Amino acid sequence: MSDAGQVDDLTQVAANLNKLAEFALDTAKNLGADAAKISTGASFQKRLVVDNKEFTLANSLASRSIGIVVHKDQKKGSASVNITTEDSIKHAVESALALAKYSVPDPALIFATKAEAPPASPLNFLYEEKLATVELDQMREIMQEVLGRLGADERLALERYEMSVDISFHALGSTTGMRQAERQTMASWSFMGMGRTEGEVTGFDYDGNFSLNAAGILPRSLVDADQFVKRVLGMIKPVRCPSYRGPILLTPRAVQELLMGMMLYHAGGRQVMDGKSRWDKAVGTRVVADSFTLTDSPHDPRFSGATAFDGDGVPTRSQTILERGVLLRHLHDCYSAKRCGATTTATSGGPFALSLSPGNVPLKELTGGQSQLLVVDRFSGNSDPIKGDFSGVAKSSRLYVNGEDRGSVTETMISGNFFAIADAVLGISRESEIVSGSFSSPYVLIDGVSVTGQ
Amino acid sequence: MKQILQQLVAGHSGFIELRYHKRTSNSFVAQKGRVDVANHSVTEGVGVRALVGSAWGFAATADISEAAIKRAIRQAQYNASALAKVRAKGELSLARGRLSHLDFTGPGFNELVAMPLADKLGQIVSLERKLAQASSHMHTARCRYNEIIEEKSIVTSDGAACSLRIAQPELSLTAIAEKDGERATGQRGAGVNGGWECLMAHPSLHDAVGETAKIAVDLLAAKYPEGGQKTVILSPAVVGLLCHEAIGHTVEADFVKAGSVAQGKIGQRVASDLVTMADSGNETIAGYAVGNLPFDDEGVETENTVIIENGILRSYLHNRETAAEFGVQPTGNARAWLFNDEPLIRMRNTYLMPGTRHLADMIAEVDDGYLVEGAGSGQADANGEFMFGTGYVYRIKDGKKTELLREATLSGIAFDVLKTVDAVSQEFLWDLGTGYCGKGQAAKVDAGGPYVRCKITVGGEQQ
Repeated sequence: MSDAGQVDDLTQVAANLNKLAEFALDTAKNLGADAAKISTGASFQKRLVVDNKEFTLANSLASRSIGIVVHKDQKKGSASVNITTEDSIKHAVESALALAKYSVPDPALIFATKAEAPPASPLNFLYEEKLATVELDQMREIMQEVLGRLGADERLALERYEMSVDISFHALGSTTGMRQAERQTMASWSFMGMGRTEGEVTGFDYDGNFSLNAAGILPRSLVDADQFVKRVLGMIKPVRCPSYRGPILLTPRAVQELLMGMMLYHAGGRQVMDGKSRWDKAVGTRVVADSFTLTDSPHDPRFSGATAFDGDGVPTRSQTILERGVLLRHLHDCYSAKRCGATTTATSGGPFALSLSPGNVPLKELTGGQSQLLVVDRFSGNSDPIKGDFSGVAKSSRLYVNGEDRGSVTETMISGNFFAIADAVLGISRESEIVSGSFSSPYVLIDGVSVTGQ
Repeated sequence: MKQILQQLVAGHSGFIELRYHKRTSNSFVAQKGRVDVANHSVTEGVGVRALVGSAWGFAATADISEAAIKRAIRQAQYNASALAKVRAKGELSLARGRLSHLDFTGPGFNELVAMPLADKLGQIVSLERKLAQASSHMHTARCRYNEIIEEKSIVTSDGAACSLRIAQPELSLTAIAEKDGERATGQRGAGVNGGWECLMAHPSLHDAVGETAKIAVDLLAAKYPEGGQKTVILSPAVVGLLCHEAIGHTVEADFVKAGSVAQGKIGQRVASDLVTMADSGNETIAGYAVGNLPFDDEGVETENTVIIENGILRSYLHNRETAAEFGVQPTGNARAWLFNDEPLIRMRNTYLMPGTRHLADMIAEVDDGYLVEGAGSGQADANGEFMFGTGYVYRIKDGKKTELLREATLSGIAFDVLKTVDAVSQEFLWDLGTGYCGKGQAAKVDAGGPYVRCKITVGGEQQ
């Protein structure tokens, strides 16, 4: 018994799934569906787990799934199964049709046509043979080296460190003639831990990243581990944060948590369709500060979300969403596009690889220019996307006084309004970071936030 | 399936745990007059854990043939052996606890399985329509229904051999009201371990359409509460969130081992003596809590685990491994989300025991404070620092419940807040049955409690 053979297995499983997908489409038509879409997926995963700095679990998983969406008399039903036999698929199609029968008619139901969804050009960087054949022993050796960094300081209580290597395949097909398939290898890892000294426990912190090639696992893991250790140990001996209303500096992680969700909500086609977006009639107008330019680059290998096609099977493409604060487009899938009289932007399940463009101010100038400044690294709280109000705890965050780092803070809440702060940008750093392999962002200095300290 | 697993586990050396798990879930979402989701899903397979020395190996297969399960056993043993050679510790012992031999069918299981999907979907569509028509200010009405039908068999090489069939339906209503460009949201929801009738009888769904719409409309004109340290009365939903997020996670033995704030505090005072808190797999206060389970995913019978008794920390939450390490009995808290997830220490129904006071009297004693209703999302940290969103707030002035205010964010250090508790009500409710806990895997949990009066930080604006 070993890990070998999974690459061959995946090829075989993918071939079987393709046959079953065609069977499912035929079955749907034979049972009376007007149209149907099939998604299939299979993956092999190897995972190693370290708890409290010691290996505790080795894991091997094989999974597969088939999802079916049917349209019948302008009504929709869906079903999914992980038992990939013709009987179970036929039962799933019947279930989807039964649900469609009792659903509500919706004239906008649509699947992408073959013309809208031609075969996507494969992203060859998504699959590496060498990574596909990495074995548990190799993963363990890499993790042992990384553990050397994570375990060097006893004040770091490493609750969990995981690494997994996934080999996966997913495909889409529909009765409209759309056919797409993609295979991928990915190594990913995560750390979770806290600082602990005599009489003090800090809050948790976590980080994660990925590599699409075997050679990248160790060097990237080591860099991530060093940053993680520094950040966790930096939370020990927190200082009191004063209460004030004014500027805060958002790190790339905080930009993702506090600003991105709101921006994507209001740029989202589904929210436009339902009248929930405040930017429903704002295409072509400035909606946030002119220092914000936001792009989606699904073919960029730096991002874990890179993909050749979206959930509708439409080939993805790079596109700018905000340019100097101006909303250039809403993000539509086929359904919301039809409802809004627009065209799809190939973002069903997306956007996939977002970048906020850097500015031209050195980070040191951003932290140095304020008499008191909370640098927020994580936001743990609630946001009301409709009103834009947010309120929550600033986690892993630090207090700067006249440019000097006074230390981490605890029990510090921040509150404000997205629409106000997105228009009150005091500066954007020239430095950028990629957050957990999913989003690239600079540091953003914003004004008008209420900070409530201890 | 249990008999097949028993045959397969026999004859293997070392510890083996086999878990067959079939989950059927049906999900419906009706919104703005259309059906966004009408989905039927089945996930089935066998997860295998093997212990070699002090290392665990896990493997899972969606192919439930005997040959495939045997391959998964060999793979799990191979994985464990590969790790065992680098483990510093020698043998790992597992506390036995009460290993289950039950074959259990939960309340409402047969009723829910027999009810046609079309009837359920029809009622969801109807509820959404009624909510949409409940007010002229309604912008969006949304009704979401999800049911999980669980079938499991668990067999271990050291004696557990049990099976269960349970049903966990849940329903939530969301209303967004709009007037003069202002919008506000009202929400109601409930989940139970039971059938359709049990779900609809949940106290939180009493007049759910009318209440959801009314809150959304009334909040249109509401202000925000002022920030700062306040006297508040927390509703059962918020108390449940506090128990689960801010205390419960810190007493999960794997977090304790890692160094959570609860480490080394057994026998110490961590709360007011009015506070008795537990996590239960077989709650008997109301009988419908979602986290009711006869045994956990290690085959250990569940119990009512008292975590804090009259303010003193009494117990952590354990699986078989941590129980052996801490020298106690396992508490039946090992749970896995799907067949291909390994069991982790998770909560079930986490709650504060009811007290002796009445809510009305507790309000009458407050000169200036808030009554906080409805739980939003919440997060807590290893040091007990927490942050919760809430649904809405009533101001309490001179002993009277007065104006309705918008949602507040609450934060603090959990054990510090529990030390300020000075009144606990008789009234009790399980009220987080639509909730899912996330800890690498999801888990269906419930939480609740009485009304509790304490001092807490309310987030708000600085001038």
